[in-house]
Amino acid sequence: MFGLPDEFTPGFLARLEKLRIRTRQRYAGLGRGMHLSPKRGSSLEFNDYRHYSPGDDFRYIDWGLYGRSDKLYIKLFQEEEDLLTYIFVDASASMGFPAGDRKFESAMLTALALAYVALASGDRVMLRVLGGKGGKLNPSFVNGRHRIVELARRLADLKPGGQFDFAASLATELHSIRRAGKVFIVSDFLMLFNSVTRGLGMFTAASMDLTAVQILGGRELNGQGLDGDVEVIDSESGERLRVSIGERERTQYRETMLRLTREIKSFCLKRGLHYSLYTTDHDFQQFFVRAVRDLGLAH
Amino acid sequence: MGFLYPGALVFFALIPALVLAYLAKERPSRVTVSSVMAFRALRGFRRERFGGWPRLDWMFFAEVLILSLVVLALAGPFIWQRSAPLAVVLDNSAAMQALTPSGKSRFDIAREKLDAALSVEDGGGEISVYVTAPQPRRIAPPFITLTEARLALSQIKPIDAPNDQTTLENFLSNLASEARVAKVIFAGSNALAPPVPARIHPIAVGDAVANAAIGSFTLRREVLGAEALHASLTIANFSPETRTLELTVTGDGKEVAHAREALGARETATLEFPAIPPARIYEARLAPDDALALDNVAYATAGSVKNVSILFVSPTPADAAGLNSIPGVAVTARTPDSYSPDDLETFDLAIFEYATPKELPGVNTMLVMPPPGDPVFGLTVTPTAKVEIAGWRTTDTLTDSVNFRLLSLRGGEYFGTHPWMIQVVGGDGGALLLKGERGAHRFVATGFNPFPYLGRRNLPMSVLTLNAISYLAGLGGSSSGYRTGQPWLAPAGVERVILPSGKKKAARPGTLFTDVSEQGVYELVGPGGVQTPRAVNLADLTESDLASSPLLKVEGANAGSAVEPVMQKSSLSDYILLGIILLTALEALIVYRRRRLAEAAS
Repeated sequence: MFGLPDEFTPGFLARLEKLRIRTRQRYAGLGRGMHLSPKRGSSLEFNDYRHYSPGDDFRYIDWGLYGRSDKLYIKLFQEEEDLLTYIFVDASASMGFPAGDRKFESAMLTALALAYVALASGDRVMLRVLGGKGGKLNPSFVNGRHRIVELARRLADLKPGGQFDFAASLATELHSIRRAGKVFIVSDFLMLFNSVTRGLGMFTAASMDLTAVQILGGRELNGQGLDGDVEVIDSESGERLRVSIGERERTQYRETMLRLTREIKSFCLKRGLHYSLYTTDHDFQQFFVRAVRDLGLAH
Repeated sequence: MGFLYPGALVFFALIPALVLAYLAKERPSRVTVSSVMAFRALRGFRRERFGGWPRLDWMFFAEVLILSLVVLALAGPFIWQRSAPLAVVLDNSAAMQALTPSGKSRFDIAREKLDAALSVEDGGGEISVYVTAPQPRRIAPPFITLTEARLALSQIKPIDAPNDQTTLENFLSNLASEARVAKVIFAGSNALAPPVPARIHPIAVGDAVANAAIGSFTLRREVLGAEALHASLTIANFSPETRTLELTVTGDGKEVAHAREALGARETATLEFPAIPPARIYEARLAPDDALALDNVAYATAGSVKNVSILFVSPTPADAAGLNSIPGVAVTARTPDSYSPDDLETFDLAIFEYATPKELPGVNTMLVMPPPGDPVFGLTVTPTAKVEIAGWRTTDTLTDSVNFRLLSLRGGEYFGTHPWMIQVVGGDGGALLLKGERGAHRFVATGFNPFPYLGRRNLPMSVLTLNAISYLAGLGGSSSGYRTGQPWLAPAGVERVILPSGKKKAARPGTLFTDVSEQGVYELVGPGGVQTPRAVNLADLTESDLASSPLLKVEGANAGSAVEPVMQKSSLSDYILLGIILLTALEALIVYRRRRLAEAAS
């Protein structure tokens, strides 16, 4: 509706609006918002005391404490600010295969849904694309839920393609980020495990609250469409492997894929990261609603 | 076990080659995947090889098995099996129609006895059923069960043709010495002369029966153009006592001759009727009736008894004028320029004087002094100022009653040796009169000119001319010379033949017509539905002699020895082919199901 993908029905948008992004630590924002900030501010939530200094707003002097201690103390309150939300979408070539699985489209839907949750909560969203064709997105924050249409339009122009080094690419992105916040990385994570852990580790080291959303194709996960003698070609590196695939091998392949996802999930959980897996043969709306906690969201 | 074509086993060597070709052709399909990581993890079964690599699952082995079975089937595998193939020979000749005192025919009795003999057989092998007349032949491929054989026997009927005794003896001898036959059961009117080969089990039904018969019935015209015909009939009495036989000849249903003759035991007589009035079909009947009704009747036709129309083609048409003086002869003269082959359709015969047709004529033809270089007949012609007759065939129809010594010839031409015409009259320089048959037509070529026809003024030449015309018109010959079981050439123009039973059979001129098992009058149907009758008779007094049927001399090995089962090759190819079909169907079914499952899963 109105430039959004078909999955974004009014009902689905209404459910997204009831969600908000949950973080495990407080981050300073750029404006007022709904998230507690490490800054002291003027919210109703008491935070601490400090000695009165001339110039302080005497409305915040705790007169009761003055009566007991004969000293002037200023009450400090928690500041509520918006949350800086970074959403990284993997647009490398691997997201385009298998074509029938629509992995990249699913990644865009996930990114847009997360962005809408953030925008609807009054948070600021910066959408970044890793790899891909069709140009880079503007590296600036947007806020206001109406900006979701603009983000959707920008994402629609993107096509998956090219090859990128996950860890190096994330390092570059991290270097350009000046403020910490919530980070969503939407990718198939079909890359060297070492590269994944290095990339994700850099964000955790930078005190980012990170959620990894892994997108895999249903056919891709089950090895469907591969039978007999097959020369498989890596969509990014072009590496070729010749394999004979039967029922037994297909089972073994599927177990390997599941093991890879388990390894990533295990890494995330150990580091206190959120992790969610979406396979494209499932309904997107149902996935998003059911995986609220895994996505690092809350009602 | 053995192989009919063991050489085909070399194709087994092709199977590895086919597998290699399969490998060369079976290149893997190329699929771009998001990442080969998971596939790399499957390195355990990753294979790098030439072209492709067969998955060594049961499907691959099933296909190799199918290929192997195909090669095996090509080699014609067989196993030896003990069996007792049986040959059943049933005499279906005319004599088997004879009624016995019991009221049953010889044929019925033979079939009953044969049926009884078969009922005690164990049926351990194939059963081949043969009949004997007009020539021994198997009626159908060998039967597997006795029931099938007995059913086939029940459908056989005797025919009007006699047995060819020599052929039958040879046939039975061959069967008796045939390694693939364990036992031969022969049921017929002729007994076997001892010693009877061990493999033959004879069933003789030839008990003596008194019989009288008409042997032959011939008609001839003694004078060309005469109305009356001369009929000759041979009758025989094969009973052991003197009998008075009464013969009645009818022409187109009207009695034209009658005779009564007393014949002694086993006596034969010839009855002559010199002036039979003209009719289309003549029937002779012998009384009283006896055991074999077939030979108490005989037929003759007067197909040749008619006027003769001649097309005379010559640059000097006036030479034909004299021929019109012959009674019954009508001549039409044409010059070669005005002649067309279509003209022949309305004439009985053609005479070409100093000329030859451009294609083989469709009627009997006489060539008088044909010019050299004729491509149709290919006659080698040597013109001579005076020809001399040096010799002639004395028994030939053409030379009959011709006094060659009085024949005076002037200039003419000698013929060289001809591929299909024989010399009847010859001179010092070659042949002077040739005759031959081609395409079911008769041809005569003369190196001298018998025309103009001068009648009594040149009697030898006139007799020769009349002989030639008679020969070409088919006059004076036997009109009852056709016998049952003896095929004849279908004459020119005949499109179909109506059998005495009324059945219609197609016929091609110049080819043998073989449906001649019935006695009676055959109607030869030509263009426009014109029918020409032809009489076909049993005319075989040996067959009619039911009192003393000759013994059949059958030779066979191991006379007096026990009948032993023979070893027969039993082919396994059928079973192998069945296996191939089942395996292929099974594979197709499984492939189909796999595809359906894959489609459903995706």
